[in-house]
Amino acid sequence: MDILSPLQIALSLLVSFEPELMGIIGLSLGVSLTAVGISLVIGLPLGALLAAYRFPGRGAIIVISNTFLGMPPVVVGLVIYLLVSRAGPFGFLGILYTPAAMMLAQTILVLPIAIALSRQVFEALNAEYAPLFRSIGLSQFRWIASLVSEARISLITIGLACFGRAISEVGAVMIVGGNIRHSTRVMTTSIAQATSMGELALAVALGIVLLLVALIVNILTQIVRGRLQDHGYEL
Amino acid sequence: MNSDLVTTILTISGLTVSRNGNRLLDNVSATVARGSITLLMGHNGAGKTVLMNCLHGLMAYDSGKIDAPPRAQQKMVFQKPIMLRRSARQQLKFLCPLLVDAKIEALLARADLIHRADTPARTLSGGEQQKLALIGALATHPDILFLDEPTAHLDFEATKSIESMIREAHDGGTSILMTSHNRAQAERLAQHVLLLDKGMLVESAPAPQFFSAPSHPLARHYLDHV
Repeated sequence: MDILSPLQIALSLLVSFEPELMGIIGLSLGVSLTAVGISLVIGLPLGALLAAYRFPGRGAIIVISNTFLGMPPVVVGLVIYLLVSRAGPFGFLGILYTPAAMMLAQTILVLPIAIALSRQVFEALNAEYAPLFRSIGLSQFRWIASLVSEARISLITIGLACFGRAISEVGAVMIVGGNIRHSTRVMTTSIAQATSMGELALAVALGIVLLLVALIVNILTQIVRGRLQDHGYEL
Repeated sequence: MNSDLVTTILTISGLTVSRNGNRLLDNVSATVARGSITLLMGHNGAGKTVLMNCLHGLMAYDSGKIDAPPRAQQKMVFQKPIMLRRSARQQLKFLCPLLVDAKIEALLARADLIHRADTPARTLSGGEQQKLALIGALATHPDILFLDEPTAHLDFEATKSIESMIREAHDGGTSILMTSHNRAQAERLAQHVLLLDKGMLVESAPAPQFFSAPSHPLARHYLDHV
């Protein structure tokens, strides 16, 4: 097969800002960034709490979170489908086959990563800072907030890992989003569909975009980390 | 009022700490006079830091009793200052959140750190970090200040500067309990000395008496080797 032809078409689609392609890219980024944002807002304080305190149910949260860490995306998609489908307990929300359901699926997939990675980071930081925090009598809220603030450089990496998982997800968003054109079609589901239908140009174009997104996010992360390290705020 | 409360800031009764089958402190009883500089001395592993951590509430003990000012009236400076990933000024604000900016600047100036205020705290020199930790601890005029080898690994100038700040805090009415391995420093600063050996308090004496005529053989042996 001549791969150059689809590559040329893909590049022309990209440089011409083809509307449908731009819509797919926009939706992908929107859904994934929202899911990552929600996961970080919930996962980071929870990771800090798990690292810094012993409380009833802590072990259960860790076990559940670690279990979800290895959960196959299609299973997550299936569970959410059952929950939000018309006959499911949350069917009244009417979010099946909408970006909201896709955000929910990605959040559930990404949240355990945010919790597990942040707990690891916060455990190391907490060991370092606990004597000082205890000595000055920090409140529980300020303790957690301070850990999150001190971990900011590592949190960039955690955010990146979460985003990588979210943007590359296909199984769960296919099930709960339905891959509906102009509505819930994202880059990964489009690639799967385009490939199966022989529309290799679109598939390659989207593949290039996915790679570019990963590249840009990595470059930005390196720049931010480098700046912070140059100023002595290294981890 | 009980006269003991006036003259004593800290009373330790039968303090015992064991970890993993090792006795770290063994029935330690002592007092620290209000307004004094008391040096806690002893070889490595004698239990100095363990005792200080127990007194400051950072470590649980198995038995015994501690009568000390409330935590809010205590401050502690660690051997290796714990620095945040922030500037020196932000570190000080973190340690003293209720202080206004002008007071923060005044403290930085007092510690001769005003020119380093925007430098990341973790990149300051050891002496600068210790001074930053010390002014943060002293900003709220604590009743008692615990100092865990505050000048370990510091050069002469930095040591002199820290000792001057310690004397200033003492003159301001803060009682000080500090550990040190440095006999010369102990003789310069101490009014009273507590000597620990293998978790046991073997000598408690006024500094002149401790250095000139220690009563316990282990104290004499210790002084021969520091």
